[in-house]
Amino acid sequence: MTALLQINSVYKDFSGLKVLVGIDLTVEHGERHAIIGPNGAGKSTLFNVITGKYRVSNGQIRFKDQDITNWPAHKVSRIGLARSFQVTNIFPSMTVYENIRNVIVSKKRMRFNMFTRLGNIENVNAETREVLETIGLETSSDISAGELAYGHQRALEIGLALAMEPELILLDEPTAGMTTEETRDAVKLIERITAGKTLIIIEHDMDVVFSISDRISVLHYGKILATGTAEEIKENQEVKKAYLGSKK
Amino acid sequence: MTTIRIRNIIFGLIVLILLIILPFILSEVQLNMAIEIAFFGLFAVSYNLLLGYGGLLSFGHAAYFGTGAYFTVFACKFVAGMPLFLAVLIGGLGGAVMAVIVGFFCVRLSGTYFALLTLAFNQLIYSIALKWRTLTGGDDGIGFDKPAIHLPLIGKLDMFSTPNVYYVTLIVVLISLALLWFFLKTPYGNTITCIKDNEDRAEFIGYNVFRSKLTLFTMAGFFAGIAGSLFVIFAEFVSLDAIGLTMSTEILFMTFIGGTGSFLGPVLGAGVFIYFTEWVSDITEHWEFFLGLLFVILILYANKGLISLIPAKLKEFFGKKAPVGGER
Repeated sequence: MTALLQINSVYKDFSGLKVLVGIDLTVEHGERHAIIGPNGAGKSTLFNVITGKYRVSNGQIRFKDQDITNWPAHKVSRIGLARSFQVTNIFPSMTVYENIRNVIVSKKRMRFNMFTRLGNIENVNAETREVLETIGLETSSDISAGELAYGHQRALEIGLALAMEPELILLDEPTAGMTTEETRDAVKLIERITAGKTLIIIEHDMDVVFSISDRISVLHYGKILATGTAEEIKENQEVKKAYLGSKK
Repeated sequence: MTTIRIRNIIFGLIVLILLIILPFILSEVQLNMAIEIAFFGLFAVSYNLLLGYGGLLSFGHAAYFGTGAYFTVFACKFVAGMPLFLAVLIGGLGGAVMAVIVGFFCVRLSGTYFALLTLAFNQLIYSIALKWRTLTGGDDGIGFDKPAIHLPLIGKLDMFSTPNVYYVTLIVVLISLALLWFFLKTPYGNTITCIKDNEDRAEFIGYNVFRSKLTLFTMAGFFAGIAGSLFVIFAEFVSLDAIGLTMSTEILFMTFIGGTGSFLGPVLGAGVFIYFTEWVSDITEHWEFFLGLLFVILILYANKGLISLIPAKLKEFFGKKAPVGGER
C-alpha cells in the first residue's frame, strides 16, 4: 500500500524569499505526525501549499495516489483532506450550530441545493448535533461563534475540520494562545476526536507533541532536518544543534 | 410557534387583500406610484441579494434592469403575438445572461475592485445601448405595443388600463419575492451567508466561492431583469435612463434607505424613495438636494436603514432574521 500523503521536493518562494526549499515528506495511513520547528521555518506555509491556499513553486504533492499539486482549496478539502488554522478562522457572525452545519451541507454536496428548506433536511441537522456533541459544544450551539470563549473557539476551529470526516486532518497549532489548563483540555479533545485518524499537527509545545504524535519531522529554514520517532528526534545531533539544544 | 405562524398568515392575508383592493381605493396617480414601488421594490430586493446577503457592493446593477427592459421590448417587437408573461421571462433571462458574463469577470474580485469593475461594465453596456441605434434607438429610446393577456374565461386584458398593469406587476413581483425568500432558506442561501461571513474558511470546507458568487450575481441579474421588464410594461417605453449609472445609484439609495439587513427592507426603501421624490418635487424643483440630505442623515444616524427604526415586533414581518451577519 502506498502512503496516504506524499510530498516530493516541494519548493515555495514568495517573490524571491525562499520559504520551502525541497520538502520531502511521507505520511502513512493511520500515522500521527508532528511537525516542529522554530518560527519562520515554513511550517504553516507547508500546510498552505498542501491544502491549496498557495501554489507550489516547484515539486509535487500526492494524496491517495492522486496528484493534487496546486489544486484549489475547495477541491482539496472535498477529497478528504481537512485543516484547522493557527489563527482562529471560523464563521464569527453565525451560531456555533450554523458553523458546523456549513460543513455538513458541504460534505453532503448540497451547496447549490435551491429546492429544499435547509431547516427541513433532517439528516443534516442530526449530523450537526452529533458533531457538536463530539466536540463538546452542544450547550453553546445557539451562541454566535464570534462571542464564544477562546478555548471554545479553538474547539470549534478543530470541529470545522473534523466535521468534514477527512482521511487526513492537518492541525495548525491547535493550542496556540491557550493557558496550560486549556492546553491540557485541548490535547484530550484532540486525542479523543482524532483517534484512529491520520493526523499531521504543527505544534510548539513539546509535551503536546510527544503525547499526540508517533512520528516527528523537524523543519528548519524550509527544509526537513530529520524525521523519526520522539526518541530518535531527541537524540539527533543536528536537531539538538538547530532547535532543541538552543532552548537549553 | 404555531400561534406566531397563524398570526403571520393572518397578517399576510390582510396585506394581500389590501394589495388586491388597492386599485379601488387609490387615485390613478397613486396607483401609478404603487406600480413603481412594486417593480422598484423587486429591483431593490434583487440588488440586496448582492449587497445585504452577499456583501458585494455593486455600482452597476442598472445594467441588468435596463437589459431586461430592452429584451422585453425586443421580444415583443420581433415576435408577433408574444405572450406578455413570456416577454417578462425573456427580460429576466436577458438580465441573467448579461449578469453571468459581467459576473464572470467581477466576482473574482472583492471590495473596491469589485465595485469599480461593476461600474465600468455598467458604463460599457450603457455605451452599447447608446451607440447601437438601429436596435435600441440610442438616446431617443424605443417604444412598443404592449401585448395583451388572453385569459380563457375573462377574455382579453389590455395593458393600457392602469389596474391591469398593476395586477400583472403585483403578481410577478409577489411570485418573484416568494421565490427569492424561499431560495434564501435553502442550503444555497446558506452557502451565500457562509461565504459572506468568512470566504477564506468556506473554501477550506469545500465551497467553491467563485461559482457560488457567480450564481448569486446571475440570480440578482435575473430578478433585476424581471423588474426592468415590468418597468417597460408600465412605461411603454425604454430609454437610456433605465440602463444608466443614475439608475444604479438610485437603486443603491433605495436599498440603503430601507435597510440591507432584512429581506423586505429594500421594498420599504423603494416606497419611501418614490414617495419622497414625488412629494418633495411637488414643493420644490431642488428635490435632489433634499434626497441627498435624507441620504446623508440616514448614513450618519441610521445606517441600518429605516427598517431598523421600526419596533422589533413589527420587524418580524419584514423577515428580520433573513441574513445572518447582515447587520454590522
